[in-house]
Amino acid sequence: MKHLTEEEMIGHFYSEDLCQAEVEIHLQACRQCAHAYEEFSKLLRNVQAPGVPLRGTEYGAQVWQSIQGSLQPYRPMRKRRIFSWPQFAYAAACLLFLAGAFWAGRFWEHAHSKPLVAGGEPQTKQRVVLFVLDNHFDRSERLLIHLNHAGGEGDYVDFPLQAEAQQLLSDNQLYRQSAAQANDPLLDAALDHLERVLLEVANSGHQLTSRDIAGIQQEMNTQGLLFQIRILRARISEQKTNAHAMRKGANT
Amino acid sequence: MRNDDCALIRRVLAGEKDAYGLLVAHHSQSVFRVAFRITENQADADEVVQETFLRGYRKLQDFDARSNFGTWVYRIAINCALDVLHKQKSQNLVPIAEEYDSELPTVQVADGAAGPDRLLLSREIETRRRAAMGQLTPIERIAFVMRHLEERSTEEIAGALGVAPNAAKQAVFRAVKKLRQSLAPLWVSHEALNRRRNDRALLL
Repeated sequence: MKHLTEEEMIGHFYSEDLCQAEVEIHLQACRQCAHAYEEFSKLLRNVQAPGVPLRGTEYGAQVWQSIQGSLQPYRPMRKRRIFSWPQFAYAAACLLFLAGAFWAGRFWEHAHSKPLVAGGEPQTKQRVVLFVLDNHFDRSERLLIHLNHAGGEGDYVDFPLQAEAQQLLSDNQLYRQSAAQANDPLLDAALDHLERVLLEVANSGHQLTSRDIAGIQQEMNTQGLLFQIRILRARISEQKTNAHAMRKGANT
Repeated sequence: MRNDDCALIRRVLAGEKDAYGLLVAHHSQSVFRVAFRITENQADADEVVQETFLRGYRKLQDFDARSNFGTWVYRIAINCALDVLHKQKSQNLVPIAEEYDSELPTVQVADGAAGPDRLLLSREIETRRRAAMGQLTPIERIAFVMRHLEERSTEEIAGALGVAPNAAKQAVFRAVKKLRQSLAPLWVSHEALNRRRNDRALLL
């Protein structure tokens, strides 16, 4: 260990150093440090406090007399309630105001907003019907074209054609019933015709031959049905355009 | 005592001002003692005592009932004394006694022989000690008084002065170094004198 520094001696004198034992061992081993520490501690021990002048037993009373004139008595503290009436009333008023603002906002929103889904509007309903019908006739038209060209391609008709006919058949039945209720004879007749063709294709079994198809083409007049469907699609397209124009006019 | 103090504080806060007089009576002596040790002047110490109890009364609402009123008021006294020292420093009013004042208590040295040279040395030591104390900064002076004379721990000094414990420790170190530099030459001559006296006695 090196010789003790002045700070180490001060710390040791006031018993503040962390390694008291280590310093003590060094002081026993090192005469130079022991001598320096002896001188140092002797000097510090002789720095003593000047005697404090005596103050009599009345000293406290004298101090109190000298200061009491400038002191104001404390006001007794009232017990605080967590919710006093004014606070409660204020909180209730705030709550009421918030609730009122909320309901007013809701009413205002109802009054000024346009319904996004207007299921009840006939124009919208008509647009949906036209869209669905157009889609149905589009699929049916493609099936009929396929059917009309299938006669000379091979012996058998592929399975997806029949599967498509089965799907279209269930949809077609619904549309036909709707058309009958809507008193649209042209549409009703076309859907009835289509239904018979679809029924024939769907129920012909998996082995639909070219001969079967040729029979269906002749018996069911699929060429005529295709023409009918094209006319109906043209009408639907026109109706869609009219509905779109009406919607635009309504918005502006 | 602590329970009594707490009861008195509750009475004061309830509006009974005079109860504070009892607290002043209980603690005024200890406050005066530390105030005098720091200021080394009776008038200043009295001023510190008064200011301490005035501040204590005004801050009594902030007093934490779990702590000790004596310790709390002691800290206030340290701060009041610090203010007095700062004021003296700023006005250059540090009382450095160039001449020995017979009314002031003398330094007590280990040697009991009180010859004329001994008395002279005591006066010289006291004068130098006062001068050295006057050269300390207010913080160093209070830290030294609290550590050396009041035997307070570094944590207590730091708490009273509102500084970090390491800063309080360093303040004590600096104060001791300054005092040592001032007193050591005198102490060496005193030791030499003693040695000469012992040699003379052996020769006779």
